[in-house]
Amino acid sequence: MAQSDLFATRRQSAQAYILRRILTNPPAALGAIVIGLMFVTALFAPFIAPYAYDQQNLDQIEKPPSAAHWFGTDALGRDMFSRIVWGARSAVFVILMVTLVNLALGIPLGALAGYLEGWADTIIMRVADILFAFPGLLFVFFVASTIKPGVMHWARSSGLSELANTGYLDYAVVILALGVIGWAGLARLIRAQVLTIKQREFVLGARAIGVPTSRIIARHILPNAVTPIIVAMSMGLGDIALSEGYLSFLGIGLQPPAPSWGNIIAENAGRYWRQFPQMIWLVFIPGLVLAAIVFAFNFFGDGLNEALNPEISD
Amino acid sequence: MGTLLEVKDLRTEFHTQDGVVHAVNGVSFHLDEGETLGLVGESGCGKSVSMLSVMRLIPMPPGKIASGQVMFQGRDLVKVDDEEIRSVRGNKIAMVFQDPMTSLNPVLTINTQISEALELHLGMTKEQARKRAIELLKMVGIPEAEGRIDDYPHQFSGGMRQRVMIAMALSCSPQLLIADEPTTALDVTIQAQIIDIVKRLKRELGMAIIWITHDLGVIAGLADRINVMYAGFVIESASNKELFGNPLHPYTLGLLGSIPRLDAALKSKLTPIEGLPPDLIEMPKGCPFYDRCRYRTEKCANENPALELGAVRHWVACWHWQDVRKLRKQ
Repeated sequence: MAQSDLFATRRQSAQAYILRRILTNPPAALGAIVIGLMFVTALFAPFIAPYAYDQQNLDQIEKPPSAAHWFGTDALGRDMFSRIVWGARSAVFVILMVTLVNLALGIPLGALAGYLEGWADTIIMRVADILFAFPGLLFVFFVASTIKPGVMHWARSSGLSELANTGYLDYAVVILALGVIGWAGLARLIRAQVLTIKQREFVLGARAIGVPTSRIIARHILPNAVTPIIVAMSMGLGDIALSEGYLSFLGIGLQPPAPSWGNIIAENAGRYWRQFPQMIWLVFIPGLVLAAIVFAFNFFGDGLNEALNPEISD
Repeated sequence: MGTLLEVKDLRTEFHTQDGVVHAVNGVSFHLDEGETLGLVGESGCGKSVSMLSVMRLIPMPPGKIASGQVMFQGRDLVKVDDEEIRSVRGNKIAMVFQDPMTSLNPVLTINTQISEALELHLGMTKEQARKRAIELLKMVGIPEAEGRIDDYPHQFSGGMRQRVMIAMALSCSPQLLIADEPTTALDVTIQAQIIDIVKRLKRELGMAIIWITHDLGVIAGLADRINVMYAGFVIESASNKELFGNPLHPYTLGLLGSIPRLDAALKSKLTPIEGLPPDLIEMPKGCPFYDRCRYRTEKCANENPALELGAVRHWVACWHWQDVRKLRKQ
């Protein structure tokens, strides 16, 4: 009995060990805190933001930061702090949805390519290569300029003006575009993992027990590839936040008045660049927030990688 | 007792960039219910590949079962569809592998791994499977089975892991257990324990065993009958006692001469078999042992001998087995 107690305590400490290694790594801990803050902000945006993101106060135009408006107000008299808080919600929503699409496409396609090899591998990986070679921005332009107007036209003509007039379609465009492009890297990673793991003897052992192929991939191979998937994902989250930012900045992502850090920067940068450095906070603060998030995800991803890979010594 | 497994003219090839590797070249043998068959030979002689072919576990491609029949309970396992062969694997025929350090999945608990076959083949629920898994762990002599069932493989020693592998293999009470060098990676004392466990379980459960090894000492204490393999051929087949007492093939003789004996005269030397086995891509047209054989003649270079009866229930594939016997007796 004493022996099994010993093993039980050791088993529990695995997660604690990883947590400790992240928290004792200053950049990773800082990253974790910033990411946590962003998720909390996104979740409770209506309670945190003092104003609605599109509420105008025409007496308070272009005001510098003050007690009433922490980050000042923009040219339309909107509270910048509220817009940035709501922007966190947009960013988190896009990050989660794009990651979901990436995982849903990347894991099964990568696993199939690696396990089956042959023609399935060739087809899947050539498509991934094309996505890699194809400029992602061009693809988003393509979706935004061809598919989106078509859907809007269809929505209006079939009485779904709700869909056409609100920002839902903009979210759909961003998520679809980033999701469909982003799986290729993940699929490559998973394919490489599956290729090596399937050579290991326990896979032969599972086949010798009569386990069907789909179950071998899902239950025996993929759980052994979880570590690199988690690390790649946590690194990729920052990229997605940045991509959403630049798409909205360029005007093909989320459209004003929907709050996105990218389009907040674009609106204010366009209006004030001649009067630099007046109104600098209107550009500087959302830019800083976006940069902080991207750095946070990268620091956190690095820390996670070190914590999960004992070979990388501390 | 009836015949459990009958393998006829099994040929397995691997199609590689360098050419076709002829790993198994027309192996035929049979196995009775409850019998223990030893499969002996040096590395690369096709003993593992022939058994993986029986279960259709060789990687295809590049592997291919070129011809042959594997009759098991009235079915030809070479021909049945994928679903049917899966229902045989782990259920009627189970396998234990050489290296217990790598044959268990590091991220799944022992319970998950033993229960899998029970859930798949016997339709047990998770709770039933767990109960049975604990029984199985007790059966193979793992202390505190209830406490260890949720542990991961890295929390077990090599010998304990091999016991877990045996428990997994026996979970569905198979009629045939194929043991692919299960003691090779273990310490000698642990080897003896594992062999004792398998012997005891065989007495209790009555399954047939095919034990693959290159260790003649291990097989002498275990097998009813022994097949000696060389370059993808079975070159000698006899009962345990007969093979060790009256070896007829020069290769078998060479194997016996190259292991140390407790009753040998002091300072007598071991005699290794000179040379290397033939290239399995370009097989010689004569006897595969020709290059290394002390008894070779011109006939051996041109014609490959088939198995023929050399003594009672003793088959040998050599043109000169009578000379071998005469010379050995001198």
